[in-house]
Amino acid sequence: MDIKDLKKTHIYEYHVAHGNVVDFGGYAMPVWYEGIKAEHAAVRDACGIFDTCHMGRTWATGPDVERFLNYMITNDLSKLEPNGGLYSVMCKPTGGIIDDLILYKINDEKYWVVYNSSTRDKDFKWLKKNSKDFDVKLKDVSDEVAMIAVQGPKAEEVMQKITEQDLSKVGRFTIADLTVCGYEVMAARTGYTGEDGFEIYVPDTTPENPEKALKVWNDLIAAGAVPCGLGARDSLRLEAGLWLYGNDMDESINPLEAGLGWTVKLEKEGYFIGQRAIQKMKDEGAKKVLIGFKMEDRGIPRHGYPILNMEEQEIGVVTSGGLSPTLGYGIALAYVPPEYKKRGTELYIQIRDKPVKGKVVKHRPFYDESVYGWKRDK
Amino acid sequence: MMTDEYKIAEGLYYTKEHEWAKKLDDGMVAVGIDDYAQAQLHEVVYVELPVVDSEISQAEAVGAVESVKAVSDFYCPVSGKVVEVNMSLLDSPEQINNDPYGEGWIAKIEPSNLEADLGKLMDAAAYAEYLKTVSH
Repeated sequence: MDIKDLKKTHIYEYHVAHGNVVDFGGYAMPVWYEGIKAEHAAVRDACGIFDTCHMGRTWATGPDVERFLNYMITNDLSKLEPNGGLYSVMCKPTGGIIDDLILYKINDEKYWVVYNSSTRDKDFKWLKKNSKDFDVKLKDVSDEVAMIAVQGPKAEEVMQKITEQDLSKVGRFTIADLTVCGYEVMAARTGYTGEDGFEIYVPDTTPENPEKALKVWNDLIAAGAVPCGLGARDSLRLEAGLWLYGNDMDESINPLEAGLGWTVKLEKEGYFIGQRAIQKMKDEGAKKVLIGFKMEDRGIPRHGYPILNMEEQEIGVVTSGGLSPTLGYGIALAYVPPEYKKRGTELYIQIRDKPVKGKVVKHRPFYDESVYGWKRDK
Repeated sequence: MMTDEYKIAEGLYYTKEHEWAKKLDDGMVAVGIDDYAQAQLHEVVYVELPVVDSEISQAEAVGAVESVKAVSDFYCPVSGKVVEVNMSLLDSPEQINNDPYGEGWIAKIEPSNLEADLGKLMDAAAYAEYLKTVSH
């Protein structure tokens, strides 16, 4: 399909002028502007920005909203303070993962829900369909609110230049009302790179009237941010050990298999969708689990490559893989039977018919947290 | 010669998969990927080289060139025996981006069926015409 016939985000005009634009799930999105390696390094060392307008954003409001969302997700909203954020998954009754998402509590009757682009329509329909017995209102505002991610150890410094309020007061995983470029926006201190940073939500701007969003984007660049494409977004999230929906989890995967047990609160008040299936898997034990894997011999693991034990029997599959630009070697997320999950276990990945050796490693994140990522030593 | 933004070296033979072959003075044939292929991959980060001394057939996948995002199999444009591979690509895979027809060569082949193999490839002029038909 021709690029100009694809769905456009608010930042489209910048992408076609400066980026290598491809069809990404129906959206015209940049894989890179100058190059994946430089963009990746900009986020690990300084500050990069990403167009995330293709993702899903929904307002959930009403007297029953907390009870409704807690019924939809595996995690527990009940302890969340106003302006707090919570990462969770929502599941089907089978325990299969519908999507992962972040929910921000504005107040007892108002939540801001952010989810993936590839599942945007599916998620909203799923929420809507299950909301009938609750006094809640759901409003998909994905096309009326732009979303720009500012990521990296210098994210606060860069964004502060165009923000009226003191950003050091915005805590990790919270959301705040801010004035950015003179516009009233919301921003959450989170991201998908492992680094410190913010996701800025700019209201009252659409892909057809993108001026406000483009102003924020261009002012961030003028303040020192490096525009980054989907290539760096993927390599950064992989180094951070973060799941990509559609690769590392989908409707056939239970959160306990995906290493997402920490988002499942089986003891919380009230039933949630998927609870029985997840409880059953907890009782019986998962047959496969997600591991992090590091190549020791030369080779780059990729999505779909088989993973073999030392007897060269196929035991699983790579769901995400690539060369880590920061570490300089191949890393992967893969599913294997639990007897192979112990760190240090040597396994092979089959790369073009050849078994190439590596081992199971810590993967959230893959890098040394004292050197990289939001917890790094200052 | 340039076709749009891609450089096509004269005197080389090209495949539809964007590999090149070049006859050397000593009777060997150097092979690599062309400017179009390196530009599509962008930032090459890893090269899997063919195995020295292995016997290979024309169009056989004998290696791979990888960027951060993508993998491209390397199909050898001529049959014969691999006599040398460009070991410097292991440390400097970016040579393929910087100089695809020179420092970015992948292997040297002692050809076993050269004239017939070259007959199936395109010269620079024919390849330039072919590139115009490739969407990019």
